[in-house]
Amino acid sequence: MVLRLVEDIGGCVQFVGQVFSSVRHQKVSLHSLVDQIWNVTVQSMSTTSIAGFFVGAIMTVQFTMQIQEFGALAYLGGLATSGTIREVGPLLIAFMLSGKIGAYTSAELGTMRVTEQIDAIRCLGADPIKEIIFPRFAGIVISSFFLLGLGLVMSVWGGLFMGMFFSGINMDEYLRYIPRIVNWGSISGGLFKCFVFSVVLASICTYKGYTTRGGAKGVGRSVVQTAVASMVGIVVADWLTSFLMDVATQIYLGV
Amino acid sequence: MHLMTALGTQVTEMVWAFFEAVDLVGQTLWQAIKPPYRFKDVIQQLYFVAVGSAPIVIFSVAFAAIVTIIEASFHMKLVIKNDALVPGFAALLILRELGPVVTALLLTSRVGAGIASEVGTMKVTEQIDALKMLGIHPIKFIVVPRFLACLIGGVLLTSLSNGICLFSAVMVSKMKLGYTTGYFLSGMRVFVEFQDFLFALVKGFFFGGIIPLMSCFYGFRCRSGAEGVGRATTKSVVSSSVAIIIVDFILSWVFSYLY
Repeated sequence: MVLRLVEDIGGCVQFVGQVFSSVRHQKVSLHSLVDQIWNVTVQSMSTTSIAGFFVGAIMTVQFTMQIQEFGALAYLGGLATSGTIREVGPLLIAFMLSGKIGAYTSAELGTMRVTEQIDAIRCLGADPIKEIIFPRFAGIVISSFFLLGLGLVMSVWGGLFMGMFFSGINMDEYLRYIPRIVNWGSISGGLFKCFVFSVVLASICTYKGYTTRGGAKGVGRSVVQTAVASMVGIVVADWLTSFLMDVATQIYLGV
Repeated sequence: MHLMTALGTQVTEMVWAFFEAVDLVGQTLWQAIKPPYRFKDVIQQLYFVAVGSAPIVIFSVAFAAIVTIIEASFHMKLVIKNDALVPGFAALLILRELGPVVTALLLTSRVGAGIASEVGTMKVTEQIDALKMLGIHPIKFIVVPRFLACLIGGVLLTSLSNGICLFSAVMVSKMKLGYTTGYFLSGMRVFVEFQDFLFALVKGFFFGGIIPLMSCFYGFRCRSGAEGVGRATTKSVVSSSVAIIIVDFILSWVFSYLY
């Protein structure tokens, strides 16, 4: 089992290397790239915004219950927003996206593989990695980065909404401490996390989809494996980036 | 005119899907309490749900707890200039939100997608029609064991993941923040009540119910071919994760009045 895990990780890394080396000296077809970005964005926009909104709302409810005991509700907006942007928001929204984009892409690529469309492309003398995989890979990285950003913006709205209705503090009060607690470091940290998550997601789902075998059952299996692997990958990446951000903050503050 | 037709078709389809979903839920609940019971199938599914998912849940949740402690300490230092309250706050956050939700999302991707692709494959290869021919109720045979197993498995895995989460939180706060285990636990005692643990289990129970119903619903509606199975699996993962987030929000709201 450990061997298979190592094999999978190595295969995935090699695969990403292949994807990049396939386009190094050649022109990328811009049309298919834009097509993929459009596809992914339109498909997942509603899911991402709903998820982001509710994540923000949940965080506000939870922080309200904790902070109320100290009578520090004035800090609510700042703390809930900062907590959402730095940590909980990217993680949960990326989970959602890994279900949506990851499963969809690996199902699509798996179907192509099973119905021998990929072999057909190779027969026509084209490189399937360059023609099919690269646009998807780049499209997923670009669009899920922006989708995660959209989710974070929606989470701020969700938090504000619940702050007004659940915690009973008005908008000015909620917004007042946000600039003091949420600094550029937090925002860029959150966006950095989003970028790392989207790279993890894109490489896992294209790899798993491309290496599907065995009929309709195989497609189902590879979709399940994609969902599990990308979630575990995202959690590990979350830990790594948090650690790096912590180190960066310490260096910046000179502690 | 064309647009209106398309819209009408869409709406009719949505209404039908809604009725189908209600029908599935009702039939599942009815068949679950009606004898004869299939204990063996439930145990088998429970093995797949709980024992099969345990390694992934333990692994992911441990990392999530580490991140929570690091971030909580960052925020505390920012606002009140020291992080002495981190154990209590982090333990609350873990028990109330992180443990149940992360576990449920992991279960969705492993168990939910697994069920959807399994049922979808059954549908595509006409095994479900074969069951009907043999006079076996497909919902009784397929949905009910998975439903019961996920209910039990959701509760068990939530309590397991809460334990693991707290354990790794204790470890990381000992190694990184320098708090002893005793300090962590006594800090936790100040904030955490027994209700928190109980509510986490209730959340796990609800999430465990959502996952198999959603997956079986999409599995039964699966269209033919390899593409249909993939699409059914994707849809089931997405809708059950969104449903979990929304139900989590509702439950958090309801529980906030019960403290």
